[in-house]
Amino acid sequence: MGFLQNNRFRALLASDNVTGYLFIGPFVLGFLAFTLIPVLASIYFSFSRYDLLSPPVFDGLRNFIAMFSDENFWKSLTVTLHYAFVSVPLRLVFALFVAMLFNRKSKLVGCYRTIYYLPSIIGGSIAVSVMWRRLFMADGAVNSALALIGIKSDTSWIGNPKTAIWTLIILAAWQFGSSMLIFLAGLKQIPGSLYEAAEIDGANAFQKFFKITIPHLTPVIFFNLVMQLINGFTVFTQAFVISGGSGDPMNSTLVYALYLYRKAFEFYDMGYGCAMAWVLVLILAVFTALIFKSSSLWVYYETKED
Amino acid sequence: MRKVLLVLFVLVIALSLTVSALAAPKVTLRVAWWGNPTRDARTQKVIEMYMAKNPNVTIETETTGWAGYWDKLATQAAANNLPDVIQQDYAYITQYAQKNLLLDLTPAIKSKKIDLTGVSENYLSGGKVKRKYYGINLGTNAWCIVYDPAVLKKAGVAPPSPDWTWADFEALATEIYKKTGVQTMPYSTVEPRVLFQNMLRQTGKPFFGADVTKLGFNDTKVLIQFYESQLRLLKSGVLIKPETAFVTTTPQESPFAKGQSWLEFVWSNQVVAFQAAANRPVALALCPKIANSKRPGTFFKPSMFFSVTRSSANKEEAIKFINYFMNDIEANKVLLAERGIPVVPKVREVLQDMVDPVNKQVFEYISMVGKGHVSPIDPPDPPGAGEVLKAFRNIDQEVLYGTISPKDAAKKFLKQGNEILAKNKNAK
Repeated sequence: MGFLQNNRFRALLASDNVTGYLFIGPFVLGFLAFTLIPVLASIYFSFSRYDLLSPPVFDGLRNFIAMFSDENFWKSLTVTLHYAFVSVPLRLVFALFVAMLFNRKSKLVGCYRTIYYLPSIIGGSIAVSVMWRRLFMADGAVNSALALIGIKSDTSWIGNPKTAIWTLIILAAWQFGSSMLIFLAGLKQIPGSLYEAAEIDGANAFQKFFKITIPHLTPVIFFNLVMQLINGFTVFTQAFVISGGSGDPMNSTLVYALYLYRKAFEFYDMGYGCAMAWVLVLILAVFTALIFKSSSLWVYYETKED
Repeated sequence: MRKVLLVLFVLVIALSLTVSALAAPKVTLRVAWWGNPTRDARTQKVIEMYMAKNPNVTIETETTGWAGYWDKLATQAAANNLPDVIQQDYAYITQYAQKNLLLDLTPAIKSKKIDLTGVSENYLSGGKVKRKYYGINLGTNAWCIVYDPAVLKKAGVAPPSPDWTWADFEALATEIYKKTGVQTMPYSTVEPRVLFQNMLRQTGKPFFGADVTKLGFNDTKVLIQFYESQLRLLKSGVLIKPETAFVTTTPQESPFAKGQSWLEFVWSNQVVAFQAAANRPVALALCPKIANSKRPGTFFKPSMFFSVTRSSANKEEAIKFINYFMNDIEANKVLLAERGIPVVPKVREVLQDMVDPVNKQVFEYISMVGKGHVSPIDPPDPPGAGEVLKAFRNIDQEVLYGTISPKDAAKKFLKQGNEILAKNKNAK
């Protein structure tokens, strides 16, 4: 009781530094407990044999070596590369297209923006993935819609090894919202005077798009590309739900994160799971570095003098 | 004013602490199981009944679905924070027992603290690891075929007899398809090894043997038969195509419920769910015999166990609770054999007369199996079994999708399975 009235304590509370530390306290604690410590622990686990039920035993590079001869590891890597390299460009093109539409001045634009952003808010959720599953089943809505336009199909899109991954890719493309908003912000930054000048010079819509819009957008494209590529490589929920947690059919939707999860939590090989996670970090680092390196060739900054 | 409130607050806390210290020693038990809404509600009710009878015991419950359960348990084991009583499965009990996480219940059974008078060893041995009991069987299951008798009647074919063979099965399936257009499910798509295991056991071999470092069989003959039989039906259009069959995750989604298949391969405690999904009368049949069958392939499997963890601080209380769960008639009237047919004879007799018609069919099926159509259960699944079974299912899919020949598939599985299990050599 007494110490609340203690003036020195009050003075302490009032000091800027203490207030600052108190404010960032929750974040720092959370960061240590839920990010930094687990990340450090997983480095150790990746070099050990760890089945969760008994303490980890240091095991050198065994997990990393085992990956080379693990057929499923390579399969999951190919599936993920396929997924990321098709879905990311598709999503970006789609996002840019919709952003261009919304960049016009119209009364209902605000409303449309909200509606088109919705898939991205709900997109990562279980419910949408379940719905997606039902849409693409043999007796799902997609086949019914095809029947309406005269194409008779009894394929189960999620059951066919050739088409299953495409249902995931289409789902990813459908969730273009966050990239779309960033593109929209980028489009607003382009000075209108440039377009006016181009029009006076007689440029058509294509020329305006490729000579003005795209160059000005390259920093935004660059940002979106890096972020979405990371997203693409770490996709989990959708693949987990749509394949019923199995990567069915014939591992054609066994994305990297799904296989990692199965190894760590279903087959109780946490050491291998952690090793896979670090390999993924490396792969992502390489791809991100390549994009950064190449950026000087295609990303245009207005402020840069050259 | 603030001071007065504070004093009051301190007084209240002090008082409540003294009161609880004076009462009988309080025990808190944590009980965990995987379940479904029906099981959760019934188990919860029984736990409340138990707490009403034993006011000094508080039971905290933890329940999830099957998928999340083993992740959660493993994480709790890693944190040394396992519940006192955990529901265990035949696929995991060896792993947990060998890691010294489970209490040896043999003394409790011998001293009748868990009273299992009159229970046949056939029902109990599933809970044994290295001759010690680590799990108490909560209900008995047997693999079976659930089928739609109306379809058979429409096709004008006789219902299967207990002695039917796989040749009879194929003929029946073909006849049904010709007469009614109703197809046949591929052989147990959710867990294909179970049906194959039934065939394999008829030759006398187990799927997983006592040696945890390799598969229990090395002859591919039966495995090839398992694949070829399905391919024959697939070629003639009798079998449902794999892209549809393997998509199922719930009984409601299954071709059986939708009337596209005349049968489904299930564990006997799943019959109720499949009947409910199909919403029409069902009948049960034994799995067919292979040529030159040496013994019945069907066995009694403990659907699940209760185990006490070694880290539990209240082992005696945990044992008492399990005994109540196994033996109390009123409690079992609430549970209603949802976890499988109870193993304690007096409980089974009471329930047999009060369950609904579908459950009654299951009771009858189990007692029919018990009369000469059963052989002893194989050793529990070794560590790494989950990965082996995933490989089995994958290769089964490859055969049905037509990307590998039955012969190569059988070879591939033997190689992969043995490779995964060989890792158990490193573990002690």
